[in-house]
Amino acid sequence: MIGVDLQIAARNLTRHTRRNLFLGGALAAVTALLVLLSSLTGGVERAMMVSATTLLTGHVNVGGFFKITSGSAAPIVSEYPRALDTVRALVPEIDYVAVRGRGWAKAVSESSSMDLVLGGVEVAQERGFAKVIRPVEGRLEDLAQPDTVLLFQGQADRLKVKVGDVVTLSAPTTRGVNNTADVRVAVIARNVGLLSAFSAFIQGDTLRRLYGLAPTATGALHLYLKDPADAPAVASRLRAALAEAGWRVMEPESQPYWIKLMQKVPSEDWTGQKLDVTTWEDEMGQFKQFILGLRALTALLVFVLMVVVVIGILNTLAIAIRERTREIGTLRAIGMQRRKVLWLFVLETALLGLGGAAAGAAIASGIALLLNLAGIGVPEGMQLFLMQERLSFLLQPGAILADVLFLAGVTVVAALLPARRAARLRPVTAMHHIG
Amino acid sequence: MSIVAVQGVSKDYMLGKTVVPALRDVTLEIGRGEFLSIAGPSGSGKTTLLNLIGCVDTPTTGVVQVDGKDTSRLSERQLTDLRLRTIGFIFQSFNLVQVLSVFQNVEFPLLLQGGLSRRDREARVMGLLEAVGIASHARHRPSELSGGQRQRVAVARALVTAPSLVLADEPTANLDSATGENIIDLMKEMNARDGTTFVFSTHDPKVMAHASAVIRIADGRIVAREAGRGAAAEAAR
Repeated sequence: MIGVDLQIAARNLTRHTRRNLFLGGALAAVTALLVLLSSLTGGVERAMMVSATTLLTGHVNVGGFFKITSGSAAPIVSEYPRALDTVRALVPEIDYVAVRGRGWAKAVSESSSMDLVLGGVEVAQERGFAKVIRPVEGRLEDLAQPDTVLLFQGQADRLKVKVGDVVTLSAPTTRGVNNTADVRVAVIARNVGLLSAFSAFIQGDTLRRLYGLAPTATGALHLYLKDPADAPAVASRLRAALAEAGWRVMEPESQPYWIKLMQKVPSEDWTGQKLDVTTWEDEMGQFKQFILGLRALTALLVFVLMVVVVIGILNTLAIAIRERTREIGTLRAIGMQRRKVLWLFVLETALLGLGGAAAGAAIASGIALLLNLAGIGVPEGMQLFLMQERLSFLLQPGAILADVLFLAGVTVVAALLPARRAARLRPVTAMHHIG
Repeated sequence: MSIVAVQGVSKDYMLGKTVVPALRDVTLEIGRGEFLSIAGPSGSGKTTLLNLIGCVDTPTTGVVQVDGKDTSRLSERQLTDLRLRTIGFIFQSFNLVQVLSVFQNVEFPLLLQGGLSRRDREARVMGLLEAVGIASHARHRPSELSGGQRQRVAVARALVTAPSLVLADEPTANLDSATGENIIDLMKEMNARDGTTFVFSTHDPKVMAHASAVIRIADGRIVAREAGRGAAAEAAR
C-alpha cells in the first residue's frame, strides 16, 4: 500500500510542477542557508577549539596571580611543581600538561617593532603545536633551544625578519623595571587567524629570565584532557582540592586571564599568590558569545524564512485540497478512512519537504566545498572572531541530516491542519464539489 | 432478507435560511440480486436516495438499513468500513484517480481492504479488467481513455471487492447511447453472473428498460414501483 501511496503523492506533486517547484525551491533556499550558516559556525567553533585551545588556553588552566602590592598583579604561579603534583594526583582525565609562561613584551627588530603576547613554552610538552602550527621556515623543535622565538608570518613580515635573525624583547618585570632579552627567530609559522597576529612563543626559561622569575615559577599549567567535555567538572574538582592543599584559590569567574589581570585583580586588596582555575570556555568567553550570536542569528533568519515557507505550504495545500475535493470524496466513498486521507496529504508534503530540504542541503554542501577549495580570505576585522584567515565550512553529515529532517518536519507539521481539514470533508459534500 | 431497507426517510437541505426537502417519508426495500433502477426527473431526489443508501449521507429522519445494519447507529469509521466491504460505487463522472493507472485504480479498494496477497490482487483485478473488456489498457492512465472505457474501469473498481450492493448514479449520463447501452449490459452481466445487487439512477427510458424493477420518484417521494418489463413497455411507448 505504501508504494501506491508514494506513487499518488509523487504524481500529484509532479502534476503541479511550477507550484511545487516554487515551494520546494523556497524550502531548498532556507535549508541551504541553514546548512551554510551552521557549517560556517561549525568551522569557526572547530577552529576555536583546535587553535585557541592550543595557542591560548588548555582545556583546564591552573593559572594565578602574584601581587607584590595590592595595586599590582602579575600572571604568575610560583611553586608550580607543587601545584602540578596536586593536579596530576587528582585528575586522571589528563591527556597531557603544558607548563606555559605568560607575559607580554615589545619586540624590536632592526627596522620595526610591535607588541606581542608571549607564551613561554617547553616545546616538547606542547603536543598540540604540531596539529595547529605549520612552520614555513625553521623547525618547531628548534624552539627548545634557549633564547629562541617562534613568530607567525604576519609578525615576521611586520618586523621584517627571517629565521636566524635576532629580535630584542623588552618587557616590564614585576619589580617595575623593564628587562630585555635578545632572541633568535627559530621558527616562522603560517598565520592562524588573528590570534597569530599578537601571540608569539619563546622558550620557557628565556621568558623566566626576561621577567626575572625563579625556575619554579610559570604563568599557568595548561591541562589537556582526553575528553574536553570533562573540563567544567575537572575545574570544579581542582578548585576544591587545591584549596584543601593550602593554596588560596580565586572564585570562578568566566573571564580570560588578561581581563582579570588588567581590571579585577589589581583592584583587589590582597598580596601574595592566588591560583585561578579556569576552563577553555572561561578563557574564550567572547568567542563563545560570538558563536551563540551566530547561532541565534541563524535561528532567527531561518525562523523568518520558515514562516514564509509555512504560509506557502498552507496556501498550496488549500489549493490542492480544493482541486482534489471530488477525488477525496470519491476515495472516502469507496472506503478510505479519514486518517488515510490525512496520511496521503501529509505524505505528499513530507515528500516535498524532504525533496526540497535535501536539494537545499546538497546545494549548500556543494557551495561550502567549493568555498573551502577556493580558500576565500576573511577580512582582517573578522579574523579575530572567525579564528581563521580563510573561510572554512565544517560539513558534518549528522548535523546536515538533522537540519534536513528538522525543516522537512516543520513542513509536515504545517501540513497537518489542512490535511486534517481534507480528512474531515463529508464524502457527500466532497463528491458533489464543483471546481 | 433485503439488502437495503429504507423506512420513513426524509432528508432536508438548508439553502441559506430556507429548508429544502429533498426526500419526504420514503420507504423502500431492495432485495438481494435485484437490478433496480431509480427513475425520475432532475431534482426529484434520486441522487439523495442513493447517497443515503450508500452511507455517504445521513437522513434527517427515518432509518436506512444496509445489509441488516442500521446506519444511524454506526460510527463514521464503521460507516466507512461498511462502504468499503459491502458497497461499490459507480459515478456519473467516473471519478477515477487521475494519477493512478487503470490497474491501480481497480486495485485500490483491495489495498484499502488489505488481506489479499499481491498475486491474488493481481488475479482478481486482471480478471475483472478482462470481464469489462479493458485488460489491454491496464497500464494506461484514465486521461488516456475514452468515456466508455473510463466507466468500464469504474465498474471494475466497484466490483473488485465483490460487494453485495453496487450503487450507480446516472452511470450512462456522460456516455453516448451505444456506450451507455454497453455499460448497462456489462452491469447486467455482472448482476447475473455474481448475483450482485445493482441500484442505479437514471432518467433515460432506454436504460430503465434493462431494470428488473423501476422505482419512480418525483418531488422527493416514491410514486411507483414497477416491474422491469412494465418499465420497458412504457419506455417503448
